[in-house]
Amino acid sequence: MIATLATPGRHRRLAHRRIVMLALAGMLAGLFALTLMLGQSLTPPGDVLRVLAGQDVPGASFTVGQLRLPRAVIATLAGMCLGLGGAAFQVMLRNPLASPDIIGVSAGASAAAVFAIVFLSVSGASLSIIAIAAGLGVAALIYLLSFRDGVSGARLILVGIGISAMINSFIAYALVRAPGWSLQEALRWLGGSVNAVRIEQAGPLLAALVLFGGLVLSRSRDLETLRMGDDMAAALGVRVGAVRLSVMMGAVGMIAVATSVTGPIAFVAFLAGPIALRIIGPHGSVLIPAALTGAILVLGGDYVGQFLLPARYPVGVVTGALGAPFLIWLIIRANRTGGSL
Amino acid sequence: MTINHRLQVQDLTAGYGDRTIIKGLGIDLLPGRISAIVGANACGKSTLLRVMARLLRPRGGQVALDGAAIHGMPTRALARVLGLLPQSPIAPEGITVADLVGRGRHPHHGLMSRWGPADDHAVATALEATRITDLADRTVDELSGGQRQRAWIAMALAQDTDLLLLDEPTTYLDVAHQIELLDLLCDLNARRGTTIVMVLHDLNLAARYADQLIALRAGRVHAQDSPDAVLTEATIAQVFGLSARVMRDPVSGRPMMLPIGRHRLAAE
Repeated sequence: MIATLATPGRHRRLAHRRIVMLALAGMLAGLFALTLMLGQSLTPPGDVLRVLAGQDVPGASFTVGQLRLPRAVIATLAGMCLGLGGAAFQVMLRNPLASPDIIGVSAGASAAAVFAIVFLSVSGASLSIIAIAAGLGVAALIYLLSFRDGVSGARLILVGIGISAMINSFIAYALVRAPGWSLQEALRWLGGSVNAVRIEQAGPLLAALVLFGGLVLSRSRDLETLRMGDDMAAALGVRVGAVRLSVMMGAVGMIAVATSVTGPIAFVAFLAGPIALRIIGPHGSVLIPAALTGAILVLGGDYVGQFLLPARYPVGVVTGALGAPFLIWLIIRANRTGGSL
Repeated sequence: MTINHRLQVQDLTAGYGDRTIIKGLGIDLLPGRISAIVGANACGKSTLLRVMARLLRPRGGQVALDGAAIHGMPTRALARVLGLLPQSPIAPEGITVADLVGRGRHPHHGLMSRWGPADDHAVATALEATRITDLADRTVDELSGGQRQRAWIAMALAQDTDLLLLDEPTTYLDVAHQIELLDLLCDLNARRGTTIVMVLHDLNLAARYADQLIALRAGRVHAQDSPDAVLTEATIAQVFGLSARVMRDPVSGRPMMLPIGRHRLAAE
């Protein structure tokens, strides 16, 4: 008798959560199918499937196989990395402003890439490795600078915003000094885009998602408990410091790898968590819904930028236009209520 | 019946940054009883509780659970024996009462184990014991202060620990809710044999509800004994620098103190 008292509400919410997750996944799948079928021209679903199965379909093999598929795959994977990494940071530090793209992790990655292009004439895979290393390095620097008997969210955000400003001034300097021939390549690293991506680039993204994403998701229950404050979480058996460190490593790894492939796609890491939270509601972990939301944002944003606007824009411009007003709204709201993710 | 664990503080030194707040402090908590820690502001009450809950690492000495230092124990195992209700815990936005109480089950789960009937049962029992079963599906933000505090206590009950530390659990509650909360803790102590250790500001309530009073003064134990032995005019003068009269509380038979200020004194 007693045992059933608390359960109906809980099971109802779990069922609701499952439906919403399925709806998000369905939306992502639909969007993915749409981007494969409909671009400048319409490819019938049958042709798309045949291309995916590896058959040679005149015309469709190129547009779908070479142009649309790599783009959609990279956009989906990068979006998942950004959404999951961003939401993990926000939940861990109980602050939506604590997203890695606000505190300068992605800026660090792109600044290193710009520096390497302009001053060292690096290109190709080594450029990606430099960008990833710089992303991790900046995150470590922020962590160390904000460390004092543990890391508090507010200190980390402020240090991150300061570092971010320094990095941006450095980027501006590098661009002023850049010779014309490298400027084009450097600019590609400053606005996120999935133009001209190759399917091979899915490899590192997938590896990051499995490795770093797995690390973050394995801490999902600890992260949920951390939302009740560090003290309460510790009293409930969470090793706060260890969880923080591993979640931070996983999230930064995903963001840095994604940035090394697509450049910094503005605000996706920052937006995915709060949007997912509003869709899924406050029960249970927001991490997987945030990964799906991130993928939808990048895939949808890229589609809008390509086909629904008067000119063609890279996805970063679209998500940037979406994110900036949200950032302002969030700051105003946080001032009023002290609201949190 | 649960086996009572013994919590001891041995020659403890602790502090923050450059400041040492607790110096060479030792207490032996009565297993299965209620202890109240009292003392003036900034005497180290909360710091002591934080070290006892392992939120703060001691500089010297140790807190021992059944003879072993808690700072060397696995976090999750400790959290199945020792619970804490901090002074102002944070309820995640929009969380329901049942889910909040369910969070108390965290230390009972490993990486792979799933929510089971035992968890449902623990949550239902905790809701019932705190008489908030009707509120289970409400969000914590909707609750009144007294109800919210009961929800937090219910979470601690669902954690099902043998020892429970509470940092000023009656703050922000009106007098009726303070009594209700302390009664609830007494029930818990009587029914489950839970050892309760709480920091309390109100000396009279501490003397009424605790079996053992621990009076701190400047980071050291000034006195630890029964309320009758600790709540004396001399101790109040030494610990709080306040003159007071101590009388027998006609309601509980425990000692009760009446502070003497500079004004509003009846003519002799």
